[in-house]
Amino acid sequence: MHLTREEERIYNGELGWASQICMRILVKLGDLFGAERLIPIDSAHVSGVSYKTLGNAPTDFLKTLAESGEKTRVESTLNPKSFDPEYLGKRLPEKLLQEQREILRAFEKMGFKQSYTCTPYHLQKVRVGAHLAWAESSAVVYANSILGAMTNREGGPSALAAAIIGKTPDYGIHKPENRKPNILVEVDPPIKYGIEYSALGIFLGRILKDKIPIIKGLKELTEDKLKQLGAALASTGMTNMFYYENELREKSGIEKVNVGRKEIENTIEQLTTTQVPKPDLVFIGCPHCSLQEIKKIAKIVRGKKIKQEIELWICTSRFIREKAADHINELEKCGAKVLTDTCAVVTWTEELGIKTIMTNSAKTAYYAPTLNKADTILAPLEECLKTALEK
Amino acid sequence: MTKAVLKGRRIVEGLCRAEALVSMKPISFLGGVDPQTGIIVEKGSDIYGERVKDKVLCFPHGHGSTVGSYVIYALAKNSAAPAALVNEKADSVIVIGAVMANIPMVDQIDISKIRKGDIVEVDAYNGVVRIL
Repeated sequence: MHLTREEERIYNGELGWASQICMRILVKLGDLFGAERLIPIDSAHVSGVSYKTLGNAPTDFLKTLAESGEKTRVESTLNPKSFDPEYLGKRLPEKLLQEQREILRAFEKMGFKQSYTCTPYHLQKVRVGAHLAWAESSAVVYANSILGAMTNREGGPSALAAAIIGKTPDYGIHKPENRKPNILVEVDPPIKYGIEYSALGIFLGRILKDKIPIIKGLKELTEDKLKQLGAALASTGMTNMFYYENELREKSGIEKVNVGRKEIENTIEQLTTTQVPKPDLVFIGCPHCSLQEIKKIAKIVRGKKIKQEIELWICTSRFIREKAADHINELEKCGAKVLTDTCAVVTWTEELGIKTIMTNSAKTAYYAPTLNKADTILAPLEECLKTALEK
Repeated sequence: MTKAVLKGRRIVEGLCRAEALVSMKPISFLGGVDPQTGIIVEKGSDIYGERVKDKVLCFPHGHGSTVGSYVIYALAKNSAAPAALVNEKADSVIVIGAVMANIPMVDQIDISKIRKGDIVEVDAYNGVVRIL
């Protein structure tokens, strides 16, 4: 890999241990994947923030890095943590909260924004054609496919190194030749509901591996439905990007795959693990709710009440919560918990006695059986809310 | 006396000589290796219960969470890390862990040629593994 004089000085440790180790991470990754140089990035987004998913191993590294005085060189955001200040922060054991706070202090000292969201694209404008170093696979797919930005699927540590250096190795999806679609997916009959988009993502992730699809047969498109599709796609596969415009011309010789009613329905069924339609928790907001989603939910729950025996969590970012203050009021009046900074998957639902989670997110339904040791019910948003509300 | 010389690729520079511990299955460091003791706790691992400390740890490649890199660093901090890492195909989780912990690492090695208990020399400056 060719390094500039400045990069070389950092690599050799002339600017200290912390920037050296971050530079070495980026250069070794670049060597591994055949990059020729580092390229500047507009922003970095780091996953691996929740103490529940991290455990104790990273704390020492993060603290050492933070204590070196090293700071992020670009706009740098953080994925959700394991609790919100208002609700879970008061219900979970103090020991767990302490461990989490220690991790957060290290990130904050390094200059990371206290964003705590999986949807960094809701709080910053992303330029078309911008190079990014984002971890959080759902945001990676969203950035590449919907925003027209360019980011490989970083891991927590490589995104952290990129945040500190402000650069990323130039390989993979940063190169135009690696952004070409190589498989055509025809969904017939076309799909139009959020849950179908979500299920399509799970199904495609399993069969595409890392191929880039053009997907035809998506009706009543919204950014929120595409967000669901991308999040699910990244859960089961290594695909980091998809195309969806129906006017995209077919390429001759491109591989083709058909997805029908049966595949979508089977996938939805498989993501429900219990026959008993009695969830302890109804969870909306994986990935974190957009302003449109909050508005839609507020409209449905207006003037109603949540059942005594069920919790309804609506998870979103602080930014959207502020923007949607009036709607949030309505949600809270009906008894819903509007949680920022966290979600059901990255907190300790078991500690709260939650055994069955109902959700509209295929990503959550895919991960919750292992990460939350919970049964899952995957259902459309309207049905989830209906289950939580009194008649 | 050198029994065999295996030529691979340098990943993280370094030189060491130690006993080999060989797994023919991918290793997930997060959840698969105890960061305090260096004992393999991954269910289904063919080296379950073994200790990686001070060994030349040979395995095809990593799998699982990217938090695994931090686990490799934690192993080094707890003096429970392998002396060197030898892979068939390096992946980013293991490479980053090796950089963080400064553990010599080589890949593109046919690890089936190495037996558990062999004394091996890893010359990660030149990407060479010698079975002694």
